[in-house]
Amino acid sequence: MPSLKDIRTRIDATKNTQQITKAMKLVAAAKLRKAQQQIVSMRPYAQGLMYVIQNLVKADSVKHPLIKGSLGEQVELNSSEAKNLLLVILTSDRGLCGGFNGQVIKFSEAFIEENKTQYDKIDVFIVGKKGAEYFARRGAEAVEVIYRLDKDISYNLATQLGSKLTEYFTSGNYQEIKFVFNEFKSAISQKVNCEQLLPITHKAHVQEGISKELNLVTPEARQFIFEPASELILNELIEKHIVVQIFRYLAESVAAEHGARMTAMENATNNARDVISKLTLTYNKIRQEKITTELTEIVSGAEAL
Amino acid sequence: MFKLTIVTPEKTIIKDAELAEITLPAHSGELNILPGHSELMTVLTAGKLSFKLMDGSLFDYAIAWGYCQITPEGVTVLAEKAFDKDQINIGQISKEYKQLEDKINQETLEDKAYFDLIKQMHEIRAQLELKS
Repeated sequence: MPSLKDIRTRIDATKNTQQITKAMKLVAAAKLRKAQQQIVSMRPYAQGLMYVIQNLVKADSVKHPLIKGSLGEQVELNSSEAKNLLLVILTSDRGLCGGFNGQVIKFSEAFIEENKTQYDKIDVFIVGKKGAEYFARRGAEAVEVIYRLDKDISYNLATQLGSKLTEYFTSGNYQEIKFVFNEFKSAISQKVNCEQLLPITHKAHVQEGISKELNLVTPEARQFIFEPASELILNELIEKHIVVQIFRYLAESVAAEHGARMTAMENATNNARDVISKLTLTYNKIRQEKITTELTEIVSGAEAL
Repeated sequence: MFKLTIVTPEKTIIKDAELAEITLPAHSGELNILPGHSELMTVLTAGKLSFKLMDGSLFDYAIAWGYCQITPEGVTVLAEKAFDKDQINIGQISKEYKQLEDKINQETLEDKAYFDLIKQMHEIRAQLELKS
């Protein structure tokens, strides 16, 4: 049986841990709010861009190297082409966030395993230290690794990433670029998602009423003057669209990370509370037993006299 | 009703405000728009965007890239970045500007990197001009 002192030390230690987890939970909650705000305030811009792109493509049936087929239809890739896939995996730099990183990594590995036969080569591009460490342990070489995401998910980072990935795509190194990331559903739930960045094939969901909200109209409805030509406008719009998409993936991932950490820390705090109450119970039991033993000893000692 | 809406990835700067006049840094030079302008789609470059509302208030922003659509109902701008005077930190920007200048003066740059830097420089210059 542990001594009273041992138990007291354990209670103190657990209390300290509880304090830390509680503080971490509060910090995560504050950061989560900020990240959430970022996602929400970005929406009109992103949706507006997508709306304009879709309508420009529809009106002029413009062909663009970054768009496969016309928007809205899922295009089957030609099987005779060489196909290299670049998988961009978004993880976090720090741990203590529940299954956040595990989920993404598990999903990515399953995805690679499943689609091995469809592609000639699948490479990974990793964002976040946790993912990088994992894949390094596995001996899988990443094309590139980026750290320190949560410190600044600045628009600049997305811009850099965007031009880099577009370069990979246009130079013919990769025929497809997909992102695997945790999508932010709510503070307590994240969902691992895989979305294709390039080529742009699927119809992105444009929210109903966005055109009204931003006073945007479709080009076919009017006699627009284009300045420069509509293809050039489209070029620039698509470039920005890619950046915005990447920015959204990053922002979703960061928000999901904070959400996951908040939940994990909440659970940890609750567990610590349970442990403390159990330990306190044992502590009191042992204390009482000890008093009883001492009393019995005294009484029997007195009787013996 | 001639309405103005400006959104950036960070926030909605203004929405459905009644517009009297707007000046935009458009693709082919500065563009001054009054109500009744013909319908136009254009991209914006780095520069100063200023507008006057019907109530007489004036606003100035330094923007980076943007998309602009002009219809008889109003003007809609999707700007990549937009800063007003208070958001610009002159010390920090001049420092960035110097760093960019140094980088550009290196001769080893590739074309693409060079143009990227020039673009950034224009953005910063727009901010500096707005502040001064």
